[in-house]
Amino acid sequence: MTSIARTVAIRRGRQRSAAGTDRVARPGFAWALPATVFFLLFAIVPLVLVAVLSFVSWGGLGSPQWAGVSNWTKLFHDPVMLQSLWLSLLLTVLGVAVQTPVSIFIGVWAAGYQRNRAVLSAIYFVPLLLSATAISVLWRALLDPNFGIPSQARWLFGSGNLLGSQAGAMGVLVFVGAWQYTPFHTLIYQGAARAIPRVLYQAAEIDGAGRVRQFLHITLPQLRNAMITSMILMVVGGLTTFDTVLILTQGGPGTDTTISAYYMYRKAFQGFDFGTGSAIALLLVVVATIISLVVVRISGYDKMRSMAEGV
Amino acid sequence: MGLAACGSSGGVPKQATSGSFHVLVYGDATNKVEQEVVAQFNKTSKVKAVLDTIPGADYQAKLQTIIGTQQAPDVFFNWGGGSISPFVKAGLLLPLDDMIKSNPKLKSSFLPSVFSSAEVNGKSYGIPMRGTQPVLLFSNTKVLKSAGISQPKTWNDLLADVSALKAKGVTPIALGGGDQWPTQMWFEYVYDRIAGPDLLQKALSGDKSAWASSDSKKALTVLKQLIDAGAFGKNYDSVKFTDNGSPKLLATGKAAFELMGSWDYSTLQSISPDFVKTDLGYGAFPSIPGGKGDPADVVGNTNNFYSVLKTTKYQAAIAKFLTLMYSDQFVKEQLSIGNLPTTTNTRQFISTAAASPAYDQFQYGLVQKAPSFALSWDQAYPPSDSQPIRTAVQQFFDGQIDQNGFIQAMQSLSTS
Repeated sequence: MTSIARTVAIRRGRQRSAAGTDRVARPGFAWALPATVFFLLFAIVPLVLVAVLSFVSWGGLGSPQWAGVSNWTKLFHDPVMLQSLWLSLLLTVLGVAVQTPVSIFIGVWAAGYQRNRAVLSAIYFVPLLLSATAISVLWRALLDPNFGIPSQARWLFGSGNLLGSQAGAMGVLVFVGAWQYTPFHTLIYQGAARAIPRVLYQAAEIDGAGRVRQFLHITLPQLRNAMITSMILMVVGGLTTFDTVLILTQGGPGTDTTISAYYMYRKAFQGFDFGTGSAIALLLVVVATIISLVVVRISGYDKMRSMAEGV
Repeated sequence: MGLAACGSSGGVPKQATSGSFHVLVYGDATNKVEQEVVAQFNKTSKVKAVLDTIPGADYQAKLQTIIGTQQAPDVFFNWGGGSISPFVKAGLLLPLDDMIKSNPKLKSSFLPSVFSSAEVNGKSYGIPMRGTQPVLLFSNTKVLKSAGISQPKTWNDLLADVSALKAKGVTPIALGGGDQWPTQMWFEYVYDRIAGPDLLQKALSGDKSAWASSDSKKALTVLKQLIDAGAFGKNYDSVKFTDNGSPKLLATGKAAFELMGSWDYSTLQSISPDFVKTDLGYGAFPSIPGGKGDPADVVGNTNNFYSVLKTTKYQAAIAKFLTLMYSDQFVKEQLSIGNLPTTTNTRQFISTAAASPAYDQFQYGLVQKAPSFALSWDQAYPPSDSQPIRTAVQQFFDGQIDQNGFIQAMQSLSTS
């Protein structure tokens, strides 16, 4: 009896002292409280509300009617919805495939220190400063088949009906997205490239490695974490693309570029079917979360391996 | 809500003798006139009117979200027809028949074809305001002359014009297919000319077999003939009206015709005043031989309307406010900014007050003589249908769906 009581007392003492040192060494939960409250209020609460809305039938008039899972069953039998998910994924994959190599090359190039590079980088950065709406309006005018670039370069564009076919319209969306967001990802790679220890390159030079080998065996592996960060941002951005679609194609021709985010808007705010709109929104959250998790898992980012490891 | 909904007339209208009621309108340049009307009303009334505006692009969505709540206005702007039928169904709107009974001029002062487009289930729910917007066939007379043709009177004229223009290397008809609703206008007219206005009415009332009728199929065949003749060129889906793409084609002579609402006049004026002055032509939509529809029929937006909410406490004051919509002052002010009001007294002011008397005279005659003024399909159907209609229309033009595909798409619409 007494010995047990003593052990318990000792344990308690240890716990207390452990907690005590913790409090001194690391900030407690209280530090995270404001951010957590904001996150709950502006992210979790709306998310729960959207989840509830996805089970009602509501046109904005009167009170919502409980609709069970009917919104969801309708969605899974809706060819436009299935097509829109596929188009969202396609747009995202094409976006990553186009933007990643371009931003890596420009980013690594811009990581140099000559003065002209700084100036060029600054000019190159301009598209990111414009709003997506302004950019879409600008490109619409530039791509006008009768008065824009295609009318001056018939040998390349033919009739100029870029936005009138699925392939053409998707191509324009990918291009405009890349034109706008590549500078941002370039910035990430530029920062990451500048953080690579110079000794690595000096050692490689002594070993007789050329520029290409240096790039492939030092730069690329060292950019790994930056690449994952940038790709997750691209995936989330790609899945939620909206403004360019709204202005450039309006989901057309037909429903050929009706991606999920735009379909959600169309259902909720043009068709006044807030139940179905919410269901699409929730579906997008789930899909984006799954894809992000997959990217993190495949890349090994979750193990948080140090960049300096193995130097 | 259901209790008050049934038409129990005879009761004393709810009226407060002080306070103010809210008038909600689509925010744009026309607000200038509405502000003056409200100011004029407030000069003599104890109950004051307050004008609220919502920027155009957001108007319909915002209206729908507030109309069932405490923030709902007393009087609001709309397009009649399908744009108010969900509100009527929800029991939110006040039938205006009692007001009209005590002041018949609220109805008799307006052109009947216009007034009737805000009637739902035989009851009046709107008083016309602003101007009428019929769809016309605009043309570039210089291009027509150089191709040796004139404004087409019949469908065969139009087909002949198309081949003459193509031989000249000009796009026969400018079309803002990227917006989809300009494409829809071609369907509206061809259907009306071939089947008459009854087909749409039948379809709207829930009889979906109308879309599969032989008239419907004939209309689609005729349209297909025009598309296949190359009347619209190859790249119309990359062109929009809303960014001035198609009007610019007409104004610069790269195209000969454009089918567009009467607002195209002011759009063209802003792009190229010289073109409007010297080379702008306009006419009614061609007749189609053998069709059941009257060649004098018109489609478009009949007008905008003021509707009244049932919950308002100011019925008496609002009844007085609405009488201003047919006042001489109102008509003159609308004409001066290019709108064409649909009151019976409009004609006498056109030559003195209008921005372009000849054009307004033509429009007015067209609307006055029209046996039927059909609402745009996407306005006549409930809002949830407008996107499926526009998609089907575009897909048929592009050949992505055939006759049967189009009929199926129209049959799957919900009717209210």
